[in-house]
Amino acid sequence: MSNLGFALEGAWKVLLAGLILGAGLPALFAVGIRSMAFGAGGDAEVDHAPPHPIGRLVAYVLFTVVVFVALLGITFIVASGFGKTISFDHIYPTIVDK
Amino acid sequence: MTETTVILALVVVTALGFDFTNGFHDTANAMATSIATGALRPKVAVALSGILNLIGAFLSVEVALTVSNAVVRIQNSDGTPKEALTSDGGTALLLIVLAGLVGSIVWNLFTWLLGLPSSSSHALFGGLIGATIAGLGWAGVNWNGDGSKLDGVVGKVILPALMSPVIAGLVAAVGTWIIYKITVGVAARFTENGFRWGQIGSASLVSLAHGTNDAQKTMGVITLALIASGEWTDTGNIPFWVKASCALAIALGTYLGGWRIIRTLGKGLVEIASPQGMAAESSSAAVILASSHLGFALSTTHVATGSILGSGVGKPGAQVRWRVAGRMVAAWLITLPSAAVVGALMWYIGDLIGGLGGALVIFLILLAAAGYMYWHSRKTPVDHNNVNDEWDEPAERREPAGTAA
Repeated sequence: MSNLGFALEGAWKVLLAGLILGAGLPALFAVGIRSMAFGAGGDAEVDHAPPHPIGRLVAYVLFTVVVFVALLGITFIVASGFGKTISFDHIYPTIVDK
Repeated sequence: MTETTVILALVVVTALGFDFTNGFHDTANAMATSIATGALRPKVAVALSGILNLIGAFLSVEVALTVSNAVVRIQNSDGTPKEALTSDGGTALLLIVLAGLVGSIVWNLFTWLLGLPSSSSHALFGGLIGATIAGLGWAGVNWNGDGSKLDGVVGKVILPALMSPVIAGLVAAVGTWIIYKITVGVAARFTENGFRWGQIGSASLVSLAHGTNDAQKTMGVITLALIASGEWTDTGNIPFWVKASCALAIALGTYLGGWRIIRTLGKGLVEIASPQGMAAESSSAAVILASSHLGFALSTTHVATGSILGSGVGKPGAQVRWRVAGRMVAAWLITLPSAAVVGALMWYIGDLIGGLGGALVIFLILLAAAGYMYWHSRKTPVDHNNVNDEWDEPAERREPAGTAA
């Protein structure tokens, strides 16, 4: 296989991972903010709906997920520095040797 | 103290100098958007980025000794220098490395003066390629690899440079578009505040990744020079002082902040708002991390610029200054050849004079060029006080992103 073939093979994987993590997480975060505004009600949104306490709860859950994935990213950087990587073989992430 | 020791010292100082320019050239990649949207005050942003780069550099314990192998043939596959280059006590190899580094720094400073975010890795590879062509001929360069994996100048430098900004731009555009769709009708006090936090988090991730990626390139180059001159023999490890000094150099460079480049990326390309900033930095962080996981070499600069451009394309009604973008792309294209020309020229000068004298002369040329460019930059200073001033280019026609993209 030529260099171009290898590069394209790497490129679409990076694009896929980028879309899931790089666009998906900000989208989740945006849903969290929307939910926060939904929870606050009143002038937080243009439709001036009454407050919905559930919105705030959903928002905190979403923010927690985003922060968790970002921490996973940091763990990945640190782990790869020590010759380790993160495995998802057991569903939950574990640090294993490369 | 022998002649070789003095040349080695010059190589180490020059390499740390390159690492320093690498730092301040790339502050913008992580922090330009946070500074532009006011999520972080300029001084706080560069301090945070500097600290994270320092930590990142210390975390990069993976040996990057073979960093130059992707593009030039001055090392064996285990990282030791080619015997032919060390027969005279290592001077031949040291001169190639020194000339290459001078080429890289000169080009990095020149693009900084113009406020253009060019790639520091391209400058480093370009300088080394040029000096190698001058010293060993065209065959000394690993153009295409051996076809068994992504390798060579084409595979490790040119193809990723073409693809990574497009990927990052696409991801950021999609992210920005979705974010604006989701938050339609939400009061600005919620979106502005929330996305500022998201922006700070994602920008920090980019800074950390930058420290681990870029500092180890210089560590590899210095260790190669140490091995060539017989000062170090272990190809499996890097001396601690090398790691510490490289980490400090890149962190100090980052803290100094390449304000000219921060200004171009934060204000020049796109008028950026905090949701766009978060989308851009998340895209950069995801693309950089995914790539390094897959062994797909790329330049953080190309990724960051692509992301910011993408965040302008993705926001409905946003304006992208395509002329500024065009100037950046032009700088990317000529970075590698230009650094190569300077690197080659330096090698010829160094070789003509020969020995310690030659090395000293090209080092002095570097100091003179750096001093001149610094002096020139003082005529129109850009620093933390005016980095966010309005960007006005009166001759330019602004196009809505929708029609131009």
